[in-house]
Amino acid sequence: MSQYAMVIDLNRCVGCHACALACRAEWNVPVPYHRNWVEDLGPEETSEGLSYTFFPAMCNHCDHPVCVEVCPTEPIEKEFRDPKTGKTIKMAAKATYKNPINGLVLIDKDRCLGCGACVDACPYGARYLDDTLDEPKADKCTFCIERLERGEVPACVKTCPVDARIFGDITDKDSEVHKLVHKKGAKSLTSKEVDIGPNVYYLGKKKDIELLFRKCAPHKRTWESVKAPSRRDVLVAAVKKIRDKV
Amino acid sequence: MKLSRRHFLENAGIAAAALAAWKIPKGVLASPAPAASKVATGLPGSMGAKDVPSVCEMCFWRCPIIGKVKNGRIVKIEGNPKSPTNGHRVCARGNSGIQLIYDPDRLKYPMKRVGERGEGKWARISWKEALDEIAYNMEKTRKKYGPSSLALFDHGASAGFYRQIFKGMGTENYTNEPAFFQCMGAVSLAYVMTYGYKIAERVDMSHSKVMLFFGTHLGENAHLGQVREYIAGLQNGAKLIVADPRFSAPSNKADIWLPIRPGTDTALLLAWINYVIQNDLYDKEFIQRNCKGFNELKEGVKGYSMEWAARICDLKLHDIKKAIDMLAASRPHIAIHSGRHSAWYGRGDVQRHRCLAILTALFGAVAVPGGIYFPTSIDLGESDCVECDAPEDVEEPDTSLKDNYPFASYFGSPTAEIIKATRTGKPYPIKLWGIGGVNILHTIPNPYETMDALRKLDFVFSIEILPTESATWADIVLPEANYLERYDKVYVNHDLTPYVTVRQPVVKPLFEAKSPFWIAKEMAKRLKLDCFHCKNEEEYLDEELEDIDLSLAKLNKEGGLVRLKGHPYRDPNKPIKVNTDSGKIELFSGSFDDEDMDPIPKFEPILAPPKGYARLVYGRVPTHTFSRTMNNLWLHNECPEPMLWLNEEVAKKMGIKYGDRVVIVNQDAYRSANLVKVKVTPGIRPDTVYLPHGFGSRSPLLTKAYKQGVSDQFLITRYVQDPFFGGSSHRTDFVKLIKDGKTLDIPELRPVPPEIPRFEIKKV
Repeated sequence: MSQYAMVIDLNRCVGCHACALACRAEWNVPVPYHRNWVEDLGPEETSEGLSYTFFPAMCNHCDHPVCVEVCPTEPIEKEFRDPKTGKTIKMAAKATYKNPINGLVLIDKDRCLGCGACVDACPYGARYLDDTLDEPKADKCTFCIERLERGEVPACVKTCPVDARIFGDITDKDSEVHKLVHKKGAKSLTSKEVDIGPNVYYLGKKKDIELLFRKCAPHKRTWESVKAPSRRDVLVAAVKKIRDKV
Repeated sequence: MKLSRRHFLENAGIAAAALAAWKIPKGVLASPAPAASKVATGLPGSMGAKDVPSVCEMCFWRCPIIGKVKNGRIVKIEGNPKSPTNGHRVCARGNSGIQLIYDPDRLKYPMKRVGERGEGKWARISWKEALDEIAYNMEKTRKKYGPSSLALFDHGASAGFYRQIFKGMGTENYTNEPAFFQCMGAVSLAYVMTYGYKIAERVDMSHSKVMLFFGTHLGENAHLGQVREYIAGLQNGAKLIVADPRFSAPSNKADIWLPIRPGTDTALLLAWINYVIQNDLYDKEFIQRNCKGFNELKEGVKGYSMEWAARICDLKLHDIKKAIDMLAASRPHIAIHSGRHSAWYGRGDVQRHRCLAILTALFGAVAVPGGIYFPTSIDLGESDCVECDAPEDVEEPDTSLKDNYPFASYFGSPTAEIIKATRTGKPYPIKLWGIGGVNILHTIPNPYETMDALRKLDFVFSIEILPTESATWADIVLPEANYLERYDKVYVNHDLTPYVTVRQPVVKPLFEAKSPFWIAKEMAKRLKLDCFHCKNEEEYLDEELEDIDLSLAKLNKEGGLVRLKGHPYRDPNKPIKVNTDSGKIELFSGSFDDEDMDPIPKFEPILAPPKGYARLVYGRVPTHTFSRTMNNLWLHNECPEPMLWLNEEVAKKMGIKYGDRVVIVNQDAYRSANLVKVKVTPGIRPDTVYLPHGFGSRSPLLTKAYKQGVSDQFLITRYVQDPFFGGSSHRTDFVKLIKDGKTLDIPELRPVPPEIPRFEIKKV
């Protein structure tokens, strides 16, 4: 299995928000939601002096996605095809699932019930429930899979003014992301309480990484308190909604 | 002065003699055009859209872009991959241009005022009525009060067209860009006088070994090509020195941050210049061959010691020594950034940038990799289509608004003088204003005076895209097509890799919006001006492109942009010829000497804050341009309001916590209209507060921006005019904070040295 991953180089990042806006434009992400966003951090003191850095954030396409765990939909068998080898893999997938070919955590919008369990579960706050739709659905970063499938890079990577976003397959030892993670020490945002194998990594000066972890590393095991509604409850709610409309 | 003012205006952008004019050699056009993408609207996202090349105008940096169109709607904006500066990239604002087109608050039709000025109550009228009314009033006012009773405030790509109309009417007040008098006048003048050309931030950062920024906050200021070069420089191992009272985004990436006392930059620079000369750190051969006035410089700066500068600037001697040694060790490959917005303190602004220019020359960091460089001259054809001549029988007014400012004519009439003349009728009455593409109430200091002037006018018209507060004062407002809906002029970029491109419509104008060319042509027709002959924009653009063997069609075949070969670097074995009086780089400015201005920069102290006050400074956020983008749905969502930066120790003493909301009050007792959230941080000097610029809109017609955040501009009521060209200062105001109804003094943690007098508040 491949695993798409992204490294964000904070030495390059200037905190300009171009990534967030290119994503919004590409996928028409409604205001005020974000599939990807940027937070300003500092200026604050660190053990290495003052730091004023940025947190460009998005779905981490985790190795152990807790959003998938809490999704209440019935798993159904799906066939996934590797475009490189032509091989197929069959896997039982819920509405939210981790693609076994490329490691992307994705949402099957047709099957999403809009219950919001995955939104509450994500310790990074990377998902939102799109209330602008008649039937709200969960949404989040897909690493632009539709673009990847057509040989394009993710929209945020393409627009980044300073090429701070490096994208690739981390299982490929020759890839830039692999090198940056395994040789240059790019770090994913984890803590001793929360480590679910995120695949977005950050590279930067020691002081900036220190501030990033201090302010943004997740500590709450958010998924443990999520009570996903039973499928029945969701269906009843949906039927009621349709009835109200009629 | 040998360098005539007219000569200056004609050559401002280009180094003249040194560089041969450019023509496109055969073969350049043979490079394959990008394959036209097939329009397949079934594809997700922006994929499968039709690509239309154009030029961005979300800020004036004007990156080449591709508009992506599906079903007649623009769905996305990307960078033009052919562009050597941004390639396929655009910034946050560039990405959000779509929301400027589809902003429901847009001005849709020509309108006539029905309420009071400033209320923004209008009734829809026809284009014919609107244009007739403007022409009638322009002619009537000129007849009654003389041609110079008409004044234009302009900015941006459309400025050139409207300026021609005012020039054709014979007023001396036709080129008064706030962009000069409120922004880059001082730096432009300093570099023109030193190097003979307007530097326009041509600093080769990507090839530099050390970069030096004075207040320049690239990244927060998202001029994309420059941001790329700066980051490329760092990636190539360049060191960075930043002098800024605030720990800005580049300060975080810097090797040395110098938290300098505001208003003392020139002291540091003069001490550095002296240190470089005294310690033989300069490039003797370069100075000898290319510069004039070294001995006068040496004599003029000899009193400025490093110890003195450290005390005046409130910096550590060790740090400022380390910084200048770092620069000297890597000469000539050092990028001393010229800066852009330089209307800081009124007095001394030109000399501060003269110091930067002189230091650059001492290190020989001119037209070498890593230094400042000369733009490559590219001779466009000169279409006379849009050129309106001033009428021959018009005499210049006896007393000009430029009289007190020997170098004002380089730019136009100082905006502050236009406002004064409008308010007082002296030295002559100004009775009609045109305002195009600039929100003057958020640009020119003391908006209260500007509003007073607006009340006194006989007639004011505005050409705008959005109903800004400045537009709400207009008697007639004209809806302009925005940059994605129109042609403009030919854009020639003279940077490292020069290129030629054009702005062209990506989609058709919405509602009744019209292009600046069309509007100006219709005005010229009504005012019987002998200009705007060509049929349309396409014909005009083809005439402009003709001399470099291009046309609109040819350019579009090439993906909308053609790269040329640049000549940024000099031959180190030959003297360089520059466009100054002496033909040399002027360390001693002959032109300044002729006008009894200091030919060698001197330190003039800038008044320190009164006790209990901090200096108000401002800057940019990367998600907004001036006050122009605050109503953009997407950008508003990214950054709806600014935070006020306040030093952590000061905040503690005042009892203010991070996120507290306060009112700001200035030395003239003007208060911010809203509360502002405080960002308590160690990253700012105790004597300074910082507020991002452009928020706090007062136009109720801007439904998203109205009353969102606090405006810096409405707290800038005290300004000092620059003695060289009459620009007005923006960093000469002082503030206290009001929390829960109680006015709090700002405690003074960094004592002011006796050489720096304080501003005194007059007791009423």
